[in-house]
Amino acid sequence: MQWMVWTLPTAMVFAGLALLLAGMAIWGHFSPPVARRGFLRIETDRGDRLYIGLISAAVVLAGWIAVTDLSMWLALACALAVAIVIGVWG
Amino acid sequence: MSEQSTAVAGGEAGTAATTKEAADAQAPVKPKNNRAWFLVLPVVVSVAFTAVIPLMTVVNFSVQDVFSPDDRIFVGLEWFRSVARDPEVRAAFVRTLIFSAQVLLLEIPLGVALAVAMPRRGVWVSVALVLVALPLLIPWNVVGTIWQIFARPDIGLGGWAINNVLGLDFNYTLDSTDAWITVLIMDVWHWTPLVALLAYAGLRSIPQPYFQAAQIDGASAWAVFRHIQLPRLRGVLTIAILLRFMDSFMIYTEPFVVTGGGPGNATSFLSILLSKIAVGQFDLGPAGAFSLLYFLFVQILCYVFFTVLTRSGR
Repeated sequence: MQWMVWTLPTAMVFAGLALLLAGMAIWGHFSPPVARRGFLRIETDRGDRLYIGLISAAVVLAGWIAVTDLSMWLALACALAVAIVIGVWG
Repeated sequence: MSEQSTAVAGGEAGTAATTKEAADAQAPVKPKNNRAWFLVLPVVVSVAFTAVIPLMTVVNFSVQDVFSPDDRIFVGLEWFRSVARDPEVRAAFVRTLIFSAQVLLLEIPLGVALAVAMPRRGVWVSVALVLVALPLLIPWNVVGTIWQIFARPDIGLGGWAINNVLGLDFNYTLDSTDAWITVLIMDVWHWTPLVALLAYAGLRSIPQPYFQAAQIDGASAWAVFRHIQLPRLRGVLTIAILLRFMDSFMIYTEPFVVTGGGPGNATSFLSILLSKIAVGQFDLGPAGAFSLLYFLFVQILCYVFFTVLTRSGR
């Protein structure tokens, strides 16, 4: 694994993603996802909304770093807020 | 009489179907069989090995300054900041977007026109199909080589003709506009056939009665195209537009062979700039950050592509 040049922060991000996916799989087993239409105007179930939310959060982070020097923690808060809004009402 | 019996038979079939549906509805819901997951396991493993693990490595590289696996410094989001604010990267991004837009504006109308003009029946159908599909069968670097020679003003037929027959001063190795036009026309030559074949397939699937009705109404060829053919091509044209947009946004081989990104950086598209940073300068940290930002954009496009294709009918 030496060639993969791991760092603690990236390992934590990937572990978090793996946990998130595992959690979604377990949740899906006990209560199967239901597709519905939210403000995104397309039919999505909770997995779709998680994906769209994560991608949108990444867009917020990338846009933030491209235009401003303000703290990235603030960017992370905004990104999480966007992901949650999409996850709940998307 | 025969019409009546068909109607009766149709009715019986309909009743049978309804009964079956009712039986299905009454049957208890089958629990999901998760054993199917084991069947896709080999795919998961091979994708993990060839795509996911290398991508994780790119992520690791993007937050470090790596000299060797033992000698590396964690730099946080520094590479992302420098790449996202690099004027050269931004210029390449805008350049690639403009190129993709021009590709679409040229290839979609040309492809549809070609499809409309192609014969519908007879021996010429296969001849036309093979001729149109020919550029698609040529390997991409060979397409680049063909055009690199073809467009040269000294030994290339195309370049020579532009200079000596049309009397224009054309040299793609010196002039950035000429280089851009060469790459653009090469892409149009290479990929319009794909649009044409897709549109041709779409046209062939339009039922004949539409055309008969138009003929009875005395519709002109333009009216037939505008009100029958074009609306019916919506599905295939969506596919064509998205495919061509994504492909042209990731274009690498052909301009690399023809111009190498030059003259200056007139034709250095995102992928060419990325490979210059990653392979030429061996700056793996910035290249990793660049790749991830590029990947994010392409990922969004792919998702839109997928969503439009699978959900447009709903």
